[in-house]
Amino acid sequence: MSQIRHLEQPSSLASYRPPMALTLIQVVAVKEFKDNLRNRWLWLMAGMLLILSLCVSFMGSAVSGSLVVSESAQIFSGLVTLAVFILPLGAILLSYDSFVGERESGTLLLLLTYPLARWHLVCGKLLGHAYVIATACLLGFGLTAMLLVALGEAHTRLALVTGFIHLIGSGILLSLVFVLLGYCVSLCVREKAKALGVLLLLWFVLVLVYDLVLLTALVSMAEVLSRHLFNLLILINPTDLFRALNLLANPAETLSAKSSLVLIAQSGMGIPLMYGLFVGWLAVLLLICCFIFNRQEV
Amino acid sequence: MSHFTNNAINPQALTLMTNQANAQGQVAVKAVGLSKRYAEFEAVKNLNFEVFTGQTLALLGHNGAGKSTLIKMILGLVSPSAGQLFVQGQEVQAKRVNASLSLGYLPENVSFYDNMTAHELLSYFAKLKGVPPVRVSLLLEEFGLMAARDKRLRTFSKGMRQRLGLAQAVLADPKVLLLDEPTVGLDPLASAFLYQKMAQLKAQGCAIIISTHELGLVQDQMDSALILGQGQMLASGDLHSLRAATSLPSLIELHHVTPLQYQQLLSQALFASLLDPSVADRVCLRVPDALKAKVIQQLQGFKIHEFSVVPPSLQDIFHFYMASLYPHGMPSSAAFGSAKNVKSELVA
Repeated sequence: MSQIRHLEQPSSLASYRPPMALTLIQVVAVKEFKDNLRNRWLWLMAGMLLILSLCVSFMGSAVSGSLVVSESAQIFSGLVTLAVFILPLGAILLSYDSFVGERESGTLLLLLTYPLARWHLVCGKLLGHAYVIATACLLGFGLTAMLLVALGEAHTRLALVTGFIHLIGSGILLSLVFVLLGYCVSLCVREKAKALGVLLLLWFVLVLVYDLVLLTALVSMAEVLSRHLFNLLILINPTDLFRALNLLANPAETLSAKSSLVLIAQSGMGIPLMYGLFVGWLAVLLLICCFIFNRQEV
Repeated sequence: MSHFTNNAINPQALTLMTNQANAQGQVAVKAVGLSKRYAEFEAVKNLNFEVFTGQTLALLGHNGAGKSTLIKMILGLVSPSAGQLFVQGQEVQAKRVNASLSLGYLPENVSFYDNMTAHELLSYFAKLKGVPPVRVSLLLEEFGLMAARDKRLRTFSKGMRQRLGLAQAVLADPKVLLLDEPTVGLDPLASAFLYQKMAQLKAQGCAIIISTHELGLVQDQMDSALILGQGQMLASGDLHSLRAATSLPSLIELHHVTPLQYQQLLSQALFASLLDPSVADRVCLRVPDALKAKVIQQLQGFKIHEFSVVPPSLQDIFHFYMASLYPHGMPSSAAFGSAKNVKSELVA
């Protein structure tokens, strides 16, 4: 009988009000976070980062024939090298079907009939993915950091903590840049497979090819091209920005003098500026996403 | 032929609609000269129609006729190229934040989030509309999904998904409900359930616009129909006015006809011309409305007292308009294009 009464008295429902923008963004974000808990992406990513960071920290010295905890500079050098491959790849896998997948299943069309602006949806997804990435990085790198701090000598603790804070912070920002790149591609294509293909190509260029080309240019044209131009070329690639930031945060004496990133180390560019550049990347990509999405008819 | 070449609303239908407006209430949806063009392709051409509260409008047409584009325009997802569209008296503006909670929508072939449970899905959509959580449980109960509330949607049957979809559409007690092919792939019981729910919503004053190809099902539920062909309105109005507009013959089926009576019927030119040769196992006459009274009277003369009169169905009317639009048979949908195809090309 209660159902019948309910049907007969719909007037009580007329007082519904659409939620505020922040509430809508948070609702979408929580849904995205829960999705990645359910599909175990979060645990997989956290587990991979944890295993890799433990291996680098506690087994990294095995190649030199000893089994001791590596020095902090070596640990961060190893972690940055691995993270720069894994974090963007993970972010791509997290985001490539964010829009094209919802479009294929018909839920994007449905969502847009709700009191939800397109920028709410983009920001909600970004925030949800930020929760996922932050949790994975904190679990993956944070547990290793705690272990190293507990086992390490007193005078190295501060450097370790600072280094891991920068690694986690810049790692999250780097991942979010690739998440937004994933959104841009996901908004522009009509098939999930195509989105993944384009993004893997982008990853290949930005993570692998770009730095190699830059290093070649540095060696072959060092006399011709200005140092400022090289700095600029490094900073416009978020993966190099990540490497440079962590190089500055954890200076390594053993770093190859030929590395293009040495230029950044010598340029006097500050870490806050680099974080600012990451934020700039995020802002620009977020605007591009919203612009593309707003221009589309579903 | 003017009823399907004329883009303006059928005056007969307009009169009927006005009468219904007085009887049933306010205009829920109104389109005035509504058009949508994608590059060279005109998906919707100069549509004029009104839907009233407590009324069901069946949106009929071949694939690519412009039904989905029209629904998207009502939802504010696609902006009209020309004309105006009003929902609950407010002009719809494309890409707006749909602050109005007065619309409910069930898309065609939507496959919700398979990893979610029914309760999680409805709760998610309820939060987006600012609907209190208690409503979710009520709807799950009302739509017979309480037992499956914690099951993942990937385990749901098509019928359960559609029930969940309809529950989602009515979350915020909409004043206008848009259903795009809601009964495709459903068994008769599931379809009946959906139509029963629609009847309840209609009784509460909800205006329902349903796009469907299942004409037999919608015929008894609709108050009026809008028949689209190649983006333009071919006809509109209730079943009665559509029958009148098409002048299609009624089917009179004669029961218990003896061979002698049959021979007598055939001997008369009138009956011989009305006999439907396509029906082999029964004696059926195709009788235009103008002759109906005369035929029935003459049947008495042959001592045929048992017969049934079946007026033209919505399907007959629909086929009539499609045959008028495509006298040489229906082309493939690719031949005349659809908004989806054109948009894909534009994106590419």
